[in-house]
Amino acid sequence: MAVAWIGNRETLVEHAVAHAAALLGSSRCPVFTFDTDVHGTRAVIALAERVGAAYDHVSGAALARDTALITDKGAMTIAPGEARRRADMVVIVGDVPETYRGFLTDLAESAPDLSEKNAREFFLVGPSRAMPSLLNGAKVTRLSAGKEGLSAALAALRAQCAGRKVSTPVSKFDDFAAALAGAKFPVFLFSGQSSDALALEMLQGLVADLNRKKRASSLHLPASESGWGGTLASVWMTGFAARTGFGRGFPEFDPWPEGEADLHLRVSSGKSGLTPKGKGVPLIVLAKTQKPVAGAVVTIAIGEAGVDHDAVVYSARTGTLRSTVASAPSALPSAAEIIRSISVRVGPEAGWPC
Amino acid sequence: MLTRISGGEIIDPANHRAGKGDLWIEDDRIVEAPEGGVADKVIDATGCIVMAGAIDIHSHIGGGNVNTARLLLPEQHAAHLPRPAATPLSNAGWSTFETGCLYAKMGFTTVVEPAMSPGAALHTHLELADIPIIDKATLAILGNDDFLLSMIRDNASPAMIEDYVAWTIGATRALGIKVINAGAAAAFKEDVRTFSFDDVVPSYGVSSRKIVKTLQAAVDRLGVPHPLHVHCNNLGVAGAADTAAETISAAEGLPLHLAHLQFYSYGTEGKRKFSSAAARLAELVNGTPEVTIDIGQVMFGQTVTISSDVLRQFSARGTASPKKTVIHDGDGNGGGVVPYNYRNNFYGSMQWAIGLELFLLITDPWRVFFTTDHPNGAPFTTYPALFELLMSRAAREAAAAELPKAALSLSTLSSIEREYSFEEIAIMTRAAPAKLLGLSDRGHLGAGAIADVAIYRRGHDIAKMLGAAAFVFKNGDLVVKDGQIIHYRWGRALRLNPPPDKAMVRRLENYHQQRYGLSLDWFTFPDSAIAREEPFREVPCRS
Repeated sequence: MAVAWIGNRETLVEHAVAHAAALLGSSRCPVFTFDTDVHGTRAVIALAERVGAAYDHVSGAALARDTALITDKGAMTIAPGEARRRADMVVIVGDVPETYRGFLTDLAESAPDLSEKNAREFFLVGPSRAMPSLLNGAKVTRLSAGKEGLSAALAALRAQCAGRKVSTPVSKFDDFAAALAGAKFPVFLFSGQSSDALALEMLQGLVADLNRKKRASSLHLPASESGWGGTLASVWMTGFAARTGFGRGFPEFDPWPEGEADLHLRVSSGKSGLTPKGKGVPLIVLAKTQKPVAGAVVTIAIGEAGVDHDAVVYSARTGTLRSTVASAPSALPSAAEIIRSISVRVGPEAGWPC
Repeated sequence: MLTRISGGEIIDPANHRAGKGDLWIEDDRIVEAPEGGVADKVIDATGCIVMAGAIDIHSHIGGGNVNTARLLLPEQHAAHLPRPAATPLSNAGWSTFETGCLYAKMGFTTVVEPAMSPGAALHTHLELADIPIIDKATLAILGNDDFLLSMIRDNASPAMIEDYVAWTIGATRALGIKVINAGAAAAFKEDVRTFSFDDVVPSYGVSSRKIVKTLQAAVDRLGVPHPLHVHCNNLGVAGAADTAAETISAAEGLPLHLAHLQFYSYGTEGKRKFSSAAARLAELVNGTPEVTIDIGQVMFGQTVTISSDVLRQFSARGTASPKKTVIHDGDGNGGGVVPYNYRNNFYGSMQWAIGLELFLLITDPWRVFFTTDHPNGAPFTTYPALFELLMSRAAREAAAAELPKAALSLSTLSSIEREYSFEEIAIMTRAAPAKLLGLSDRGHLGAGAIADVAIYRRGHDIAKMLGAAAFVFKNGDLVVKDGQIIHYRWGRALRLNPPPDKAMVRRLENYHQQRYGLSLDWFTFPDSAIAREEPFREVPCRS
């Protein structure tokens, strides 16, 4: 099976690696997008440092909202395991990404063993489309503020909890207030996937208000698990979350240089569909593929993290990084292996950030 | 490869060596002077002081809470000046990469991250593995976790508790155990807002004292070289000296280490009800030989407090500067990140003076350890300035002259004449940490030791001298020359490896299945997950 191509022509991996390195070495403004495990991300960032590239995760826009909440405002959060064991009231805020369906089901089917109530109530703040049908019949009370959006509904909820009057009250607030009064540890589930900055800030304001008189917290469900793993690695390696660039020789916040990029490296060791950054920009692709990617000047086949090779990934079930064993080991190389091969070709080894 | 470090003033208190002489290195080890040996490389150390590489026993350099602080405070980078130039990621501020470079430049070759959440051990070790040059180690946190508190409540046997502690150390690749405000994080989840040494965690009926004593005994019986590392209750509270005194008295003949004692050495005298209790606690430490402490010195300027003492951090939210915090309820402790600016006002000056009092009034340099509780009291990049304050009364007086007299009048600092000698510095930062951690292969310059060597060019400016080493060897590699990194390498994490008890593993598997809906392997990892060659180095337990 061919595993590398230059244009549409099959080639040896080492030739494709050398060609990719040459393109990166001569690029003035390369950009990288990735969707890979922690070690793939570490390799991406190390390569970005060497060639002066800017990098971002494929879900960068939503992740930027997750990140901005912490960077700009801070938060009160709880570990998912502790939420499972302690939350006697669960409030789902906005649309929870599809990937967390299993966790929501688990919350519905389990009881909080560290709570006196040994049962939990569910609420939803958000549009009806977000009404989770996945709670196996568990009752979910939806709170809304008419046609107002999520941030307005959260603002109204916060104001009503503080005893203030509002122009558009939240529906079923009395049910919410009664549940809140009886709950020992309410937990609000949120994600940057569906919530804008104002909604996230308003939610944290509500949680902070509640903690003046009782305990409460929020459970962060990142817009993308692989993206949050990449964020953590980026933060410890550079001091910054993505979107970060090395265009000036040091890491700095670097939103995509729209129209400036002259080379695009796409790395996907998952199943996400990656779209090219810009038309006419030469493209290098590392992905699990059996054929060259249309329009790519270089395509190198890599394995899927956790399937073809062992991996380290972020897990929203544990709220931290976990090690996974390959479910169907194959000879396909990991993203990290290929990227390191490219790095070696780019130039002489100096101090290596990873 | 045979290297001779020639003509330096060797200060090696562990081997009672002090004076001019040569030091020989063969590959990664220090060796006796070989008879007729010809060195492949000679380092001229004339006019220099030669010591073992320094060891920092308590510095928050990696892991979940540290990374959250980085995320919260991209603007914090300026607090970690000076930065190395012309190195990869050189402007990254307080990245893992720069952490290793900055420590190495000062002659530190081993650093302990003292607060690893067991559930986040993989994350912590991945960060530590990305810190270049130096060796690292971690202490695993217990004492607020449901599993342990339930065992204590249910009168589990000491052997069963030891099996759990041993499993935790082994599975998380830790060098020891730390307890942080024992029971308080668990109590906080039940809406308890203050928690002292004899307070009880509601759902468990277990006191903080009981938790500390249980872990202290387990650590001792397991032969863990480092005593239980205790972060006491009531950190930062006026009157916390009483809590620290109670904890010291509770050592009761068994080894116990109290972390960052400065943050507890607060009395309630004066019109502000905030005064120095350093002299009282120093006297108590001096008279309690089984107790060791580190300081957690405060130095002025912007920093960020990072602690798994979630109750304390929650209480401190109002002091945040800038005004943003993260408070996290974890599976055990969780933690909090609260940025803080130590100003030279009454309170900041009092804290600064208290730390120095403790350093200078605790008489045995083998039992007092050099820390700022990085970054809680100050970033570790302030170490050179702190060395100067300890070694020069004139430097202290010059600094104190800029501070409020109202604060200094409530401390004994101005009356203390003591100045640390280089030998005492070598004990406090080399020989004693190695002994405390059970690291017989470092902290000294005897034959057989790992060739971790720091060479400083003598000068009147102590901070300059100790802030930028003339030469640093790590495992025999010359990594620093004239204060600059000249060679990159990857260190290892030092760990204990007590064998797991099979019955305990089965019990933990069932526990995780039932309580978290996940198998135990979601919380453990193989060495290969670190993706480096030999990421760990085993340290033996006491036999």
